[in-house]
Amino acid sequence: MTSNIIKFILNDKIQEIHNPDPNETILNYIRLRLKKTGTKEGCAEGGCGACTIVIGELKKNNIIYKAINSCIAFTPSLEGKQLLVVEDLISENGSLHPVQSAMVNYHGSQCGFCTPGFVMSLFSMYKNNNSYNEKTIEESLSGNLCRCTGYRPIIDAAKSLNNSKSDQFKKNKRKTISLLKKIRPKSISIKNQNKKYFAPKTINELKKIIRKYPNLDFLSGGTDMSLIVTKQKKDLDNIVYLNSINELNYIKENYKYIEVGATTPLRQFELFIKKYYSDFNIILKRYGSVQIRNVATMAGNIATASPIGDSLPLLLSLDASIVIESFNKKTILPLKNFFIGYRKTKLKKGQFISSIRIPILKKNIFKAYKISKRIDDDISSVCASFNLAIVNKKIKSIKIAYGGMAAIPKRAIYCEKVLLNSNFSENIILKAQKSLEKDFQPINDMRASKDYRMEIAKNLLIKCFSEIKQNKLIRLNY
Amino acid sequence: MKNFSFINEKRPHDSARKHVSGLAGYTDDIEEPNGTLHGAIGWSKEAYALIKKIDLSEVWKSEGVITVVTTRDIPGRNDVGPVFNGDPIFPSKKVEFYGQPLFAVAAISTDLARRAVLKAKIIYKILKPVVTIKEALKKKTFVLKGKKIQRGNPTKAILKSKNQLKGNFTTGSQEHFYLEGQVAFVIPKEDKDLLVYSSTQHPSETQQIISKMLNQKSNSITVLVRRIGGGFGGKETNFLTSSICALLASKTSKPVKLKLDRDDDMIITGKRHDFYSDYRVGFNDLGVIEGLKIKLASRCGMSPDLSGAINERALLHIDNAYYLSNVQVQNYLCKTNTVSSTAFRGFGGNQGMMAIENIIDNIARYLKKDPAEVRKNNFYRKNNKNITHYGMKIEDNVIQKIFNQLIKKSNYKKRYSKIKRFNLNNKYLKKGIAITPVKFGISFTTIHLNQAGALVHIYTDGSVHLNHGGIEMGQGTNTKIAQLVANALGLPYDKIKISSTNTSKVPNTSASAASSTTDLNGAAALNAVSKIKDNLEKFIVKKYNIKNIRNVAYRKGLIIFNKRSFKFDDVIKEAYLNRISLSSSGFYSTPKINFNKKTFSGRPFLYFCYGASVTEVTVDTLTGENIIDRVDILQDAGKAINPVLELGQIEGGFVQGQGWLTMEEVSWKPNGQITTTSPSTYKIPAAKDIPKKFNVEIFKQGKNKENVVNKSKTTGEPPLMLAMSVFYAIKDAVASVGKYKAIPKLDAPATPEKILMSLNELKNRINYDN
Repeated sequence: MTSNIIKFILNDKIQEIHNPDPNETILNYIRLRLKKTGTKEGCAEGGCGACTIVIGELKKNNIIYKAINSCIAFTPSLEGKQLLVVEDLISENGSLHPVQSAMVNYHGSQCGFCTPGFVMSLFSMYKNNNSYNEKTIEESLSGNLCRCTGYRPIIDAAKSLNNSKSDQFKKNKRKTISLLKKIRPKSISIKNQNKKYFAPKTINELKKIIRKYPNLDFLSGGTDMSLIVTKQKKDLDNIVYLNSINELNYIKENYKYIEVGATTPLRQFELFIKKYYSDFNIILKRYGSVQIRNVATMAGNIATASPIGDSLPLLLSLDASIVIESFNKKTILPLKNFFIGYRKTKLKKGQFISSIRIPILKKNIFKAYKISKRIDDDISSVCASFNLAIVNKKIKSIKIAYGGMAAIPKRAIYCEKVLLNSNFSENIILKAQKSLEKDFQPINDMRASKDYRMEIAKNLLIKCFSEIKQNKLIRLNY
Repeated sequence: MKNFSFINEKRPHDSARKHVSGLAGYTDDIEEPNGTLHGAIGWSKEAYALIKKIDLSEVWKSEGVITVVTTRDIPGRNDVGPVFNGDPIFPSKKVEFYGQPLFAVAAISTDLARRAVLKAKIIYKILKPVVTIKEALKKKTFVLKGKKIQRGNPTKAILKSKNQLKGNFTTGSQEHFYLEGQVAFVIPKEDKDLLVYSSTQHPSETQQIISKMLNQKSNSITVLVRRIGGGFGGKETNFLTSSICALLASKTSKPVKLKLDRDDDMIITGKRHDFYSDYRVGFNDLGVIEGLKIKLASRCGMSPDLSGAINERALLHIDNAYYLSNVQVQNYLCKTNTVSSTAFRGFGGNQGMMAIENIIDNIARYLKKDPAEVRKNNFYRKNNKNITHYGMKIEDNVIQKIFNQLIKKSNYKKRYSKIKRFNLNNKYLKKGIAITPVKFGISFTTIHLNQAGALVHIYTDGSVHLNHGGIEMGQGTNTKIAQLVANALGLPYDKIKISSTNTSKVPNTSASAASSTTDLNGAAALNAVSKIKDNLEKFIVKKYNIKNIRNVAYRKGLIIFNKRSFKFDDVIKEAYLNRISLSSSGFYSTPKINFNKKTFSGRPFLYFCYGASVTEVTVDTLTGENIIDRVDILQDAGKAINPVLELGQIEGGFVQGQGWLTMEEVSWKPNGQITTTSPSTYKIPAAKDIPKKFNVEIFKQGKNKENVVNKSKTTGEPPLMLAMSVFYAIKDAVASVGKYKAIPKLDAPATPEKILMSLNELKNRINYDN
């Protein structure tokens, strides 16, 4: 049974949207239909955080709160969830939420335009953690820009929450859970004018839909694709939304590899991967803001095939493979064979990435570096990843991949050859640096010049091997 | 001012509760009447071209479009230039920058309007654009004639000096990135009157420009602004949005809302001037500058806009806190085919100050001295060396005091030695430290702008309605002026009602700019209050036959005459019944100032703001990435009315300046197309970028020598320049790679890329010299 009615919780009530425009953003829904103007549009591309809202999701009889950018999420994705906007944090008796009070008491607002977004980011931090240290706070605020305060008062407001009392949402939790249980996501099928939108619940359903409509665009976090609507002003006419398929949201491991389901949000994966490859965790934390990583997926990053997709060089150097499915076929492809040109891949219409397999290499050294103008929420000038095994002071295997150096994320084959079986002496490193010029011819753009890209690509080799030789990290203490 | 009690009251921003609840209304949040239309602007995709044909037939046909306006629809002045012409609303023959508006539509929704403008077919004959300062200097294209200012004989002084240096230096442009983009909402009223809501720092000029555009009298246009979501100068003269919105509303006789998409905003609206300077300097062995010749060239974009005043302020701040005995400054206002550069916090002052700080830093490195010492050696003195290069005597100098206090407080010297040890022991990570001073002049250098008005009503229940010409853009001017009024009337703060800035209540206002909003409008509000108080006092004296009044005090809801006191609320009621006016306008014009723009001399500033900051950074010399480990700031705020709001300005200004000098980089292609048009391509500091340790203090002995409200000093623009220490700390880290023996060549913004290139250049130079 499919439905074209989107149901979600708003202020303890079940709210319905009948057959919505699948291209309508949640932000526009809140501002133009609900007529709640507290949530602001700052950039319409998920880059400033002024539109931050919080989504409550039912998970194992608990509610997980996720801050997301409402400007790049479409209304049908509200199905089965709780929607929280800034006005609704105020209690019925008019008193401010602890997060709101803290922002007032610590002078966290000046012009006030970014403030609702900060409040919502802090609200999700407040709900999902028991205590708030500087790292947690900085991470929670990574997707919110403020041009007035210089952030110090906002950070202080966040710290003060360590001593705050519980809120009305905690008291109300049981009721909210029972409401969420009443509206467990259904399989959605919308036809609105020319637009089709499907949100199947199982892989089987998905395959049936693909078979019938081979021209569908696959939507998951939508942090890249939604900009076609908000920035290019085009329609996404045929969408199949993957995130209602629980079967695709998983992380499994055996002794050989880790398998990550296509719709697993990055934030879930980054926590998991830390124990195997700590640099993978570090890079993913800088991949984008919390709002982005709450919804964005590695499968999306791969399918988008951007030369600056931050997970891609890491996956390439780890020699990951991807599982590609269509309605009747399942194939496994090494990632290195997947990218064929600028934002072009081997993925054909009607095919989707169902999972990613990342080899577990316990004896290898894995290092990754991201260089960008800003630490958080920026696109890399260069992203580099090194995976190597050293036996008796010799490199026995090595895989190096770079992003931002070519039209696709790519392995540095010549460089790898120089280094393989070497003792990585200074001379060899110099040669390896030189060989990068054979591997890559980077370009100029507003982020970095080609010379700078080449220079840091070379210098990251030095950094990597200096860290290995000295057996310590040579990094800035962000 | 007998019995004057200084306010020193920490109070949250008046709208803080509303900000955090989402209940503070901005222009885009105003409820739209039925039938409201929505606008979008179609703009040029070429930087410099003749317009051969504009075909809008597909735009007209596009879904939901109600009307399209072009240059032909403008009945009056087709220009939004505030001082000079040159900023056409829609040019008719020639486009002069990528992003220049060419037409606009009104449609039934914003989405449909934005889709429609993409359907225009425009045929251009492309001309060769001038994009950079260097190209403009070469081709001698200028928006205005440059100014030259000279004291003494610098050429001779430089030649006579024991040491000489020459060089050049660049500071970058900057996008305002106010979080609320440009937006206007215009509602037609009877008699063709227009009610204009606009996110502007300058409602009066918005009113005048719209009335000239429509050939209507100013009295038919009313502009209302409750608050704006950040301005920073970016909403001082950007009148295109409100003008085009008014044009659409006037043509359709319907309410029209026009909000710019972030990308359009960043493409269509002006930014900070980038500056290129070329200098020769002579100095003695203590680093004291004996002669300086400097050329300052700026990218003004395609029109004058405010470039005249901005470049003038650069000239006026080329001294920063230093006495320049023999100096010549010449400026060049370069015309380029880029969007017209405009006001931005600092307004040219910061660019001038960065130029001299670079010279001082280079002098110190040349002499192998601690730059802090060379800075001190050049400071203005109290009793001699206290006349600026434009002939103003500095009477309020506290820079030595602030500088010395901060050196001590921050433990600068010890930390510098520690840093040098760190650098010896670390091959790739290098630390740097710097202390820089700020002296910033307060007043509009265009003298007539230094005026303000206010309107105060007291209602019969004793509550007060406050209105003034200033714009609330986050700085808290409304809060501070309400505090001033409450204090003057001896009333609790919550009896004062803050209201929207409104051109029909207070006319002919100046922009909320030049850091002077509270100084000017606060004084005007107090003037209104004093007139009402006069009425009340005369009435009481007469009615109660009070004699020998020495003073009247307003405290705790009482009006106190000698020993007799009256309840404020009772007096108001009584005064009303006795037909006494309880309302007054107020006015203020800044005293003492005068400036002859021809001779470039006089007293352009009522007073100076002083401050200093110490920054410590760590640079990764393999990548150019860096972090700010610690910042210590001491800033003079006079007798601060509301220290927490001043603190907010100081910290926020610092971080904005940090962005300007480090990560923020506006980028244009050689064909003039801007490529940094969104938060994904243009990076302002985020929470993680701020100093790991951030010690900010207000100078405790601060007190404004001049008669400014509460003896306070503004903190609007000056703190931005505190961030200069970030740049020079980075330069210090770079210098460590050359063992502090060579002068690094580093330009702003010091992006990781620029830092790495500077390191390379330095290493190559040292190897070459060896």
